[in-house]
Amino acid sequence: MLTGSVTSAAEGAMEGVLVTAQRDDSPISTTVVSDASGRFRFPDGRLRSGHYRLRIRATGYELDGPQVVDLGTSTTNVAIKLRQTSDLAAQLTNAEWFMSMPGTAEQKRPLIECMSCHTFERIVRSTYDADTFVPLLKRMAQYANNTTQARVQSRVAARDVNDDSVRKLAAYLATVNLSRAPTGSPTTHSPTWNYKLQTLPRPKGRATRVVITEYDMPEKTIAPHDVRIVRDGQNGDGYVWYSDFVENFLGRLEPESGAIVEYPIPVSKPAFPTGTLDLEADADGNLWLALMFQTGLARFDTKSKTFKIFPLPADLNDDAMQQSMVMPGSANVDGKVWTNDVVRQSIMRLDLKTGSYERIDPFAFLGKGHIHAPYGMAADKANNLYFMDFGGEAVGRVDAKTGETTLFPTPTEKSRPRRTMLDDEGRLWFTEFAADKLAMFDIKAETFKEWDVPTPHTYPYDVFRDKNGELWSGGMASDRVLRFDPQSGKGIEYLLPRPTNIRRVFVDNSTNPVTFWAGNNHGAEILRLEPLD
Amino acid sequence: MVLSRRWLFVASMAAATVLISAVPPARAGGVNFGEDSDNNDGPSYFGFVRDADGSPVSGARVTAAPQAGGSLVTRSNSMGIYKIPGFAKEIDPKTVDISCAKDGYGQANVVRRGQADLKDPVEVDCTLQKQ
Repeated sequence: MLTGSVTSAAEGAMEGVLVTAQRDDSPISTTVVSDASGRFRFPDGRLRSGHYRLRIRATGYELDGPQVVDLGTSTTNVAIKLRQTSDLAAQLTNAEWFMSMPGTAEQKRPLIECMSCHTFERIVRSTYDADTFVPLLKRMAQYANNTTQARVQSRVAARDVNDDSVRKLAAYLATVNLSRAPTGSPTTHSPTWNYKLQTLPRPKGRATRVVITEYDMPEKTIAPHDVRIVRDGQNGDGYVWYSDFVENFLGRLEPESGAIVEYPIPVSKPAFPTGTLDLEADADGNLWLALMFQTGLARFDTKSKTFKIFPLPADLNDDAMQQSMVMPGSANVDGKVWTNDVVRQSIMRLDLKTGSYERIDPFAFLGKGHIHAPYGMAADKANNLYFMDFGGEAVGRVDAKTGETTLFPTPTEKSRPRRTMLDDEGRLWFTEFAADKLAMFDIKAETFKEWDVPTPHTYPYDVFRDKNGELWSGGMASDRVLRFDPQSGKGIEYLLPRPTNIRRVFVDNSTNPVTFWAGNNHGAEILRLEPLD
Repeated sequence: MVLSRRWLFVASMAAATVLISAVPPARAGGVNFGEDSDNNDGPSYFGFVRDADGSPVSGARVTAAPQAGGSLVTRSNSMGIYKIPGFAKEIDPKTVDISCAKDGYGQANVVRRGQADLKDPVEVDCTLQKQ
């Protein structure tokens, strides 16, 4: 067992410092957080005997020592000392860069596209002027969505890039990087920006009562995007399944050992980007994946461990085709599975019996010139589809019988609704990514409720309502998991040990308290967060 | 076991990259660096939902349905006002049906006001009759 204290010369005993221990030969890291008196304690039985490396996270500080600890069978007590860092910029989250960088909301908005692939550290440390940024931004716009630092993938079909927008963004970026900083250089440890670096506060009180487990993937290129446990009467194996955003594998994590098994998904378009996004279960416990640039849908039988691919017909399967979402949840009702066509901004529906796809354009009656994107999907018990318009500001409904589309604009304009879940009481819980809000749409009353997330620039990607009615969310920018009570409108935020680009979130309701899971597609890890209350 | 699967995969990708230049590029999709044009939008819609006494009715369901299909649905606010962003400019506002509904009320009357300019927002007011 491991307990201890955290102190620094500047603050004395420190609350809200994340202390991480990882045994030398293990893919599993365990993290706890120091309390108000600076004490921390790893739960009994979590750390076996062995040689452990220690890490900390406390913005503004680094670990002075000890760096390692040997654990035996009795309790080990360590006094952890922190020193102030000489390189604060290396520790900032994207949310903190957004807070720090001067400029208008309009100037900063395009940066939310950048953070899909990387943190802003590489932008602000650069010395490029506006003219140098232009071709660089145009090149990056041709990368596939499913690109990470570990594996860049280029699109085959080129995307149109608006020259004016690129020049505006380039000019802005050249004002926040080191291209005209008075002193310092990106190669030293203390470059100087011409603005103050703002930081978010450390966790306090209830936000320190948590145990976080990180599972390192066996390869740096593995990018867990959607993570979920398949555990119910139909197919309860209790394994943690994940989609890999950049490689054509479906993965399975065994939570006790951290062992990973990968099931290769057939590659049908070898010249095109690989990797999948949405991972959903059908009523029989099969797992479904939308195959992105490989196109088509895949159904994985978790018992026989085999895939069945539902390919697109040739006339739909052009170079630009990209399918990110799949919704097979109520396919048992009418034999139909919902999916999307990202490029033509439309809904598609697979007929399981014939293998044919039909197209529904939910935005046909709207003016061309606005960006729309059917994204997060949920199906009700009659297999009517509810989808998020991630490009715009609406929740959409497609009637399963008539194909008729209804759009419900969100109260907040340009909210960009992203992923969603439908609860048993007929309420869609979803995030308004660009508006920094959690939201609810009651599908019977057709009314909305919206809540601001506590930290601006969180950019929440997904939300999950647990069995107690609490909402769990996270985003690409703040490295924080949000636990939110919609009754009181209050939330707490758990800081994560490493830079984490949170996408799909999942809550395991079978534990008390509940357990939160997410992938870190930028950091080749899967995260488990167990609140202690 | 896992490793061999990965190596096979990586090998197939390496072979595949040779083919990229042979595939003619297609144009598709804009990059969302903030461009958003309303040049092709028709007028937006707004109006008041009132009861027979002229008092505002909040929370009424307002539907705007073009003849061509599909619909936009919103609710009136605490002052009985609703707003709908509008449709493509090819859709003649005259062919867009506006209707209002609320539990306990019947739709009594829908009044469409004239537009001074075709680009002006279209005002359509509803009167609901308490049942």
